[in-house]
Amino acid sequence: MSSGDRIRGAFVGLAIGDAAGWPSARHRSTLLAPWSRRLERELDAFAEEHRVTTLPVPFSLNQPVEPLAIGPSDDAEWLAWTALTIHEDRAEAFGRLAERSDLRVRISVRSALDNLAAGKRPPASGHDNPHFFDDAAAIRAVAFGAASADPRADASVTNAGDGVHAAAAMAAAIAELVAGGPMPSAVEAALAELPEDTAIGHMTRTALAVAREAGDPFAAVPALDAALLDHVYSYGVAAAQTVAAALALAEVSAGALSAAVPAAACLSSLADSAPALAGALTGAHTGYQALPEGWCATARTLVGCGIPDLAGTDLIDIAGGLA
Amino acid sequence: MLTRARGCLLGLAAGDALGRPAENLAPEEIARRWGRLTEIEPGKGGTDDTEYTLFAASLLCRYGAAMTPADVAREYREQIIPGIDGPMRGAGFSELGAIQALRRGLTPPLSGLWHPHGWSDGLAMRAAPYGIFAAGRPAEAARLVAVDGVVSNSGEGVYGGQAVAAAVAVAMTGAAPGEVVQAGIAAVPEDSWTSRNLRAAVEAVATGSVEELYAAVVVRHYPWTDLAPEAVALAFAGYLMGAGEVEGSVVSAANLGRDADTTAAIAGALAGAGRGEAAVPERWAAEIGPATGRCLPVVAGRHVLDAATDLVAATGRVA
Repeated sequence: MSSGDRIRGAFVGLAIGDAAGWPSARHRSTLLAPWSRRLERELDAFAEEHRVTTLPVPFSLNQPVEPLAIGPSDDAEWLAWTALTIHEDRAEAFGRLAERSDLRVRISVRSALDNLAAGKRPPASGHDNPHFFDDAAAIRAVAFGAASADPRADASVTNAGDGVHAAAAMAAAIAELVAGGPMPSAVEAALAELPEDTAIGHMTRTALAVAREAGDPFAAVPALDAALLDHVYSYGVAAAQTVAAALALAEVSAGALSAAVPAAACLSSLADSAPALAGALTGAHTGYQALPEGWCATARTLVGCGIPDLAGTDLIDIAGGLA
Repeated sequence: MLTRARGCLLGLAAGDALGRPAENLAPEEIARRWGRLTEIEPGKGGTDDTEYTLFAASLLCRYGAAMTPADVAREYREQIIPGIDGPMRGAGFSELGAIQALRRGLTPPLSGLWHPHGWSDGLAMRAAPYGIFAAGRPAEAARLVAVDGVVSNSGEGVYGGQAVAAAVAVAMTGAAPGEVVQAGIAAVPEDSWTSRNLRAAVEAVATGSVEELYAAVVVRHYPWTDLAPEAVALAFAGYLMGAGEVEGSVVSAANLGRDADTTAAIAGALAGAGRGEAAVPERWAAEIGPATGRCLPVVAGRHVLDAATDLVAATGRVA
């Protein structure tokens, strides 16, 4: 197997994981008219008011149904954008985004773009940021790992602390896998970037311990939920939780995407990005040729739900640019 | 000393009670509802800001300057966690996150680091007693408040508490508001969000424009308002806009909205420390009774004025 096939595996693996998590359909539904999503919010209020347990799902009334088919969303698009701009100065690349009003981005990225627009430079743009700890940069770091490049300058635009550690860990693990290393070495390479006295360092070691004890990815789901989540906060994108879960599931799956990704998708609080991260790790491990064909077909084409100009882009072409 | 200490905590409790109905509202919405919010809703009292402040004061009376994070964590385990009957009420993200961390056996500083709300203003809201205890010694106030802070917060959340504690310590000397604010800024690393926001707030207040203040320190695209770098900056701005007078400072902070109960409480603590108990409007003081324990059962029945008096006595014991 070639490193090029492993890079394609990392990219499409990430897109498969992105597609597998329940938030993907909500992201993709932003391609429908706003009133369509307003109806869904009203149905949610209806369920509350009428005490019914039949909950609304993204649906299409007099709107195209294609966006609601299973497929990739924001994470795959940010990976593609990163690969396309990887040779540019990171503050300049993000600076161009700061001038746009057509993007949908994470809270960390939105705050960073606001900071850049106000004249705040990195690393303050990523540091003076309520979600400095999230995994936006860890997703982008898959491109840097594939290119064997340092993700820190990129990560520091939108993140700080655990958010930057997470990017360094993901890039190190992906680089090790793309070079043909086994999954345990990739996990070791990631751990070397995660100091023990940080939340992400502590949580990743805890996640590995409980997942190893459970023995297989699906069996590890309740233990990971109990070990990583306090269910106090309103968002589930903290890198300390998602990267920890992804590394643990990638290891106990012995690098098999079809075992790691569904387990990550079962951690519903973390389902926006943990499956994508687990998919990138396992896809880089097995290479693109080993990934399930039906998933590859649906996951490789972007729809532009976060970055509109990427609609129709084929991730295989993008990955080829780095291979 | 005693009148400043009592003014500090009475000002804090009054700000908490005045700001409570304006929490999470935009200035335009506050103006629409009240014109200008200047009166405490009768009989409603304060919130977690006052009750956690009472708890912090009790820690200082018990342990004084020798207090360690392990002492604070033990007090959480013995005094707070057993009193939680069902869901916790009225606490901030950092306190809830820390309690969940302590329940699973984590110890400080991991208890304040493990959850993602390290930047919450939960420490800043209870930092005033540290400034009273270390009156005139801002560096000591900042050191002591961090001993408490690392149990529940990390990073900018600890800095926010340090800025407030140091500023109160200097306000307790009767210093001018500008000097008080500078002491808060000096207590935190220059290369921090808190420092950048506090300096930006001082500049924005000088322009007299609430829009400029918002543009400088408020995170526009984030739904929660309890970010310490933002809340402490708005609190200091309110204090400067009120020129250090209790009523003007508290009203200015509360009418800026966002985490209005906490920002008005901090502004009230700074102004009350500077001007003393008699400077707190009588109509507000009349609304401040003993704590109900709604947020923190262990402090039920405690009055901020008694807590202030006890704190001063504890300071004397140490000196």
